[in-house]
Amino acid sequence: MSGEVLRMENITKIYSNGFVANKDITFWLNEGEILALVGENGAGKTTLMKVLFGLENAQSGSVLVREQPVRIQNTLDAIAKGIGMVHQHFMLVPSLTVAENVALGIEPMKKGTFDYNKAVEMTREVAEKYHFNIDPRRKVMDLSVGQMQKVEIMKVLIRGAKIIIMDEPTAVLTPQETDELFEQLILLKESGHSIIFISHKLEEVKRICSRVTVLRHGRCLGSYELADMSESDISKLMVGRDVVLKIEKKQPRPGKVVVHIKDLTKINEMGKTVLDGISLDIRAGEVVGIAGVEGNGQSELSDVLSGLGIFSSGEVLINGASITGKTVHQIRQLGLAFIPEDRMLFGCAGDMSIRDNIIADRFFKPQYRKGMFINRKYIDKMVDRCIQRFEIACDDRNQPVRLLSGGNIQKVVIAREFTSGSNFILANQPTRGIDVGTAEMIRKTIVRKSREEKIASLLISADLNEVLECSDRLLVMRKGKIVAAFRQANLVSEGELGEYMLGIKTMTAKEMEGVL
Amino acid sequence: MSKTRRIETTVELVRILVAVGIAYGIALVTLIAISDDPVYIIRQFLLGPFSSARRIGSVINLAIPFTFTGLCFCFMYAVNKFNLSGEGIFMFAGCIVSLAAISLGGKGLPAPVMLLILMAVGMAVGFVVSLIPAWLDVKFHANIVVVSLMLNSMLAFLSVWVLKYFMRDPSIGSMGSFMIPDVAKLALIFGKFRVQSGFFVALIAVVFVAVLFFKTVFGYKMRIVGSNANFAKASGINMTNTVILAQLAGGMLAGLGGTCEILGNYDRYKWVAGTQHGFDGLMVAVLARKNPLLVPVAAILLAYLRIGADVVNSRGDIPIEFITVIQGIVILLVAAEEFMGRYKKRLIYKAAEEDMKEDREHVCLH
Amino acid sequence: MFTLEWFGNFGYSVLRLSTPLIFVALAAVINQKAGMLNMALEGMMLSAALAGVVFAGFFGNVWAGLLGAVFFGIVAGGVLAVSSLSGKTDLYLTCIAFNLIAGGGTVFIMYMLTGEKATTSAAVKAYAIPLVTIPLMDKIPFLGKILSGHNLLTYLAFLSIYLVWFFLYRTRLGLRMRAVGENPQAASSVGINVKKIGYLSFLISGVLCGCAGAFMSMGWVNFFMKNMTNGRGYIGLSAMNIAGGNPVGAAVAAVFFGFSDALATMLKSQGTSFPTEFIEMIPYAATVIALVLINMIRINQKKQIEKGRKREGV
Repeated sequence: MSGEVLRMENITKIYSNGFVANKDITFWLNEGEILALVGENGAGKTTLMKVLFGLENAQSGSVLVREQPVRIQNTLDAIAKGIGMVHQHFMLVPSLTVAENVALGIEPMKKGTFDYNKAVEMTREVAEKYHFNIDPRRKVMDLSVGQMQKVEIMKVLIRGAKIIIMDEPTAVLTPQETDELFEQLILLKESGHSIIFISHKLEEVKRICSRVTVLRHGRCLGSYELADMSESDISKLMVGRDVVLKIEKKQPRPGKVVVHIKDLTKINEMGKTVLDGISLDIRAGEVVGIAGVEGNGQSELSDVLSGLGIFSSGEVLINGASITGKTVHQIRQLGLAFIPEDRMLFGCAGDMSIRDNIIADRFFKPQYRKGMFINRKYIDKMVDRCIQRFEIACDDRNQPVRLLSGGNIQKVVIAREFTSGSNFILANQPTRGIDVGTAEMIRKTIVRKSREEKIASLLISADLNEVLECSDRLLVMRKGKIVAAFRQANLVSEGELGEYMLGIKTMTAKEMEGVL
Repeated sequence: MSKTRRIETTVELVRILVAVGIAYGIALVTLIAISDDPVYIIRQFLLGPFSSARRIGSVINLAIPFTFTGLCFCFMYAVNKFNLSGEGIFMFAGCIVSLAAISLGGKGLPAPVMLLILMAVGMAVGFVVSLIPAWLDVKFHANIVVVSLMLNSMLAFLSVWVLKYFMRDPSIGSMGSFMIPDVAKLALIFGKFRVQSGFFVALIAVVFVAVLFFKTVFGYKMRIVGSNANFAKASGINMTNTVILAQLAGGMLAGLGGTCEILGNYDRYKWVAGTQHGFDGLMVAVLARKNPLLVPVAAILLAYLRIGADVVNSRGDIPIEFITVIQGIVILLVAAEEFMGRYKKRLIYKAAEEDMKEDREHVCLH
Repeated sequence: MFTLEWFGNFGYSVLRLSTPLIFVALAAVINQKAGMLNMALEGMMLSAALAGVVFAGFFGNVWAGLLGAVFFGIVAGGVLAVSSLSGKTDLYLTCIAFNLIAGGGTVFIMYMLTGEKATTSAAVKAYAIPLVTIPLMDKIPFLGKILSGHNLLTYLAFLSIYLVWFFLYRTRLGLRMRAVGENPQAASSVGINVKKIGYLSFLISGVLCGCAGAFMSMGWVNFFMKNMTNGRGYIGLSAMNIAGGNPVGAAVAAVFFGFSDALATMLKSQGTSFPTEFIEMIPYAATVIALVLINMIRINQKKQIEKGRKREGV
């Protein structure tokens, strides 16, 4: 265990839309160690690694490999310096064999053609050296997920990488596959490789890493020896608010049940259980928030409730009617209003005008039409009112939506969904990527609508401020299950919330009884 | 009108003119390069179409089928489906309508009724034919371009067969049908210009389609589906219905085009090969940027180009096919412009952003 | 009538008519493996056909014609590549525009060079790529009739099946091309230039289209005729589609379409009372029916897999 094999100093990365992903981050990796790089979604871990691997360029800062400053401008530079990245989403070609995938780009040649047998041999060597039990001649699409990951690792090793970046490697693995992976990583460590292990699963971090670097909101909070820290300590660093914003609100007076979910389960195409027996009631006049690290079933829940995705079993009732087998149109008629996670993809038609976007969910209703024709006058008046009420900054109602700023585009989405006359609002990351002013307005509106208009709202958000301040009841989702339920969100401490989000603690069914 | 709208509208108009201008330029350069008397040829090309009332009339007459097929393709293009069956529909509708006209000729129906029936027949043909690629695409994911093109070829043969076995007039020398009864023909109007009255039908069609596109619920659905299919789905719009209905509407217009073409210009049904008007419609729709109101403008411009080439061709120098080349080049240019256009729009967006007083540093983080 | 002799002749006809379809289908396969649907095969083939006749006439040599056809196939591929990959125009529109340009342009150039507007047969000397008789083989009664005495390009077409297969599955470039077509991100993550591979796929398919065009104007007939390809580009594309991009399967599908073409020709020459127009429709109808059937089967297969998975998973 000698000196530093890698050091990144004062790295600052700002994206072209002004978003500061990395703020002056410094950390280092010692030779032969497994370093954990932790932080919530959006903390800047992935960006930092992209900079290291040459996929992005930083505005300022420097990278040193074995104490020598280096310039990494593309992935080939990084590979040349001995850095390899095992991506979270595999970079494999399914119809090709393991050997072909591993050798892609560095193919051995014989008499001008691709020497497949040599590639197989090369792959077998690496596999045997590091105890990967994979037949190089098998097609990648026939492999299990865990085996595919091993192929990714072999790709990295065969190119001579000594510094290996593992990006959330266990996100897709079963427990047994995770054990196998960890055995491999320890083996690699002992043969002189150095590993950066990106994760938010603290039990794993404690298991195989020796040090941890914590990122939060683009900044580095420090690097620590894991022997000295408990999972709680780490969680407190990872999960926290820099600025606490409080919203004025009255006590909620929940009325009847608007949305009833019972034992909702969904198994996706890969056979993975992404929603595991979710049961939850949302009442009129309250805001139910769902906190949790992304990728634990929140998107799937949103898809199921909005009708964009199907589910395997369970019951979902909106205003007493089941949504099973119903189209999006029908579910909206039952009372759903929906703010999608990706507003450009599902929330608007960029080339069309503000007016056309606002009426997208209601154009067929009698008051908006005169038989076959669109009732221009009525619609224009309504849209102008929306523009005023929601303070949409634009030239006029005919302006194409894509010309607006992100915040104003979201305002168009909000204007439509909040005036739809429905009594259930499903808001999925409603303030992601927009300015503070608009975000505040959106949050205040959600709270106001619940109090004044007795709307039932489900707020799914990765933003702690939002979810702690806007929600009345607060739930935490992890691995497709609800693992915590709090009756009063604004009384929950961040530390406690973090522990549930990261799996350090879990509530029993008894504890959550009555709160769901 | 606001600033950005003004920029956008001007850009659109300029774009059409620039594209046609480039086409013209290429045509002129070609003519200069290959003819012996370039000045004369150019004068014929530029001014030929205006040289007589007859010629001006032919420009308008040619713009009529271009308008119909242009409107047809506007529908296909609006929902992003390259259903090219307009070509086959045009020809086959003309054939079936001729058959119907000849069969119904002796029944003593008054002209307006006859014409309405025949136009309905033409549109029905278009409806049925365009349904085939549309449905096969939705149900079986069969490549819509290939199916519609194969269908066009089959319809061409079918039309010839119908002509040969049901309508052939043995007394005339060339291949042609019996005379189409006068009561079924579209009269000539505008005196010496000799324009066929399909002109009015085309105008009505333009107005009808424009109203449909911009003022009806269905038109709205079509445009949303074409703009962002995911958003359409998330808003609860029925994708399948909308997409198929749009193609059916397009087919009906192509059918109407074939009907008016035969009834307005011919004594007998004589087509033994495709008229290529279906593909001209594609160019018109691309030029008109899917906007039905601009279709007649693009149609006239294209017709002017064609008649100019015709004039030149009639002197024996240049074959008509070089116009097809120009058309292809224009489509490429306009499609490329579409990309350049997006870049231009991004510039406008950036400028707009700078105007707006948004504090970019305080973007929400997650 | 249906003697062995007759079948022999028919078999010969099938192979002869399949030749351009095989070339075009293989060209489509190459493009598809690189991730692109090439709808402009029709125009590429047509341009090559004209180029063949022109070059042959100009140099007085049939092989110059063949080279010219191949050369122009490559140029056409290059134009498409530049337009869609660098110019970033929508590939569908580019292809449709290209086919239009080729259709009109070939007639135009033919007129400019020969003064003819329909075919070159009057103006240009007819050049034909020679027929090859395979010694010994031609003595075999039935098979010999079918397999021997074909145009050189016919044998080349069948050889190309092997060559394309070898290229895709045994060479480095072929491997990279397949990677790019299936997962361009994976390919670029190991340093492969995705755009360059795309370009190459168009150039290679250009060579194949060039051969197809050369066969049309110097093998099938010995002159260039306006619009002589008559949909074969799309039929070849469908063959590739039916075979799911597999080169051998695409060739088999191409031969199937060649069969329908031969059938139509044979029925026409028989002079049956069956109207010729319907006979002419056979190849086109066959294409549509085959496409639909194959997709129907595929959709069904998918459903079965999903049912099976659900049973296992829950």
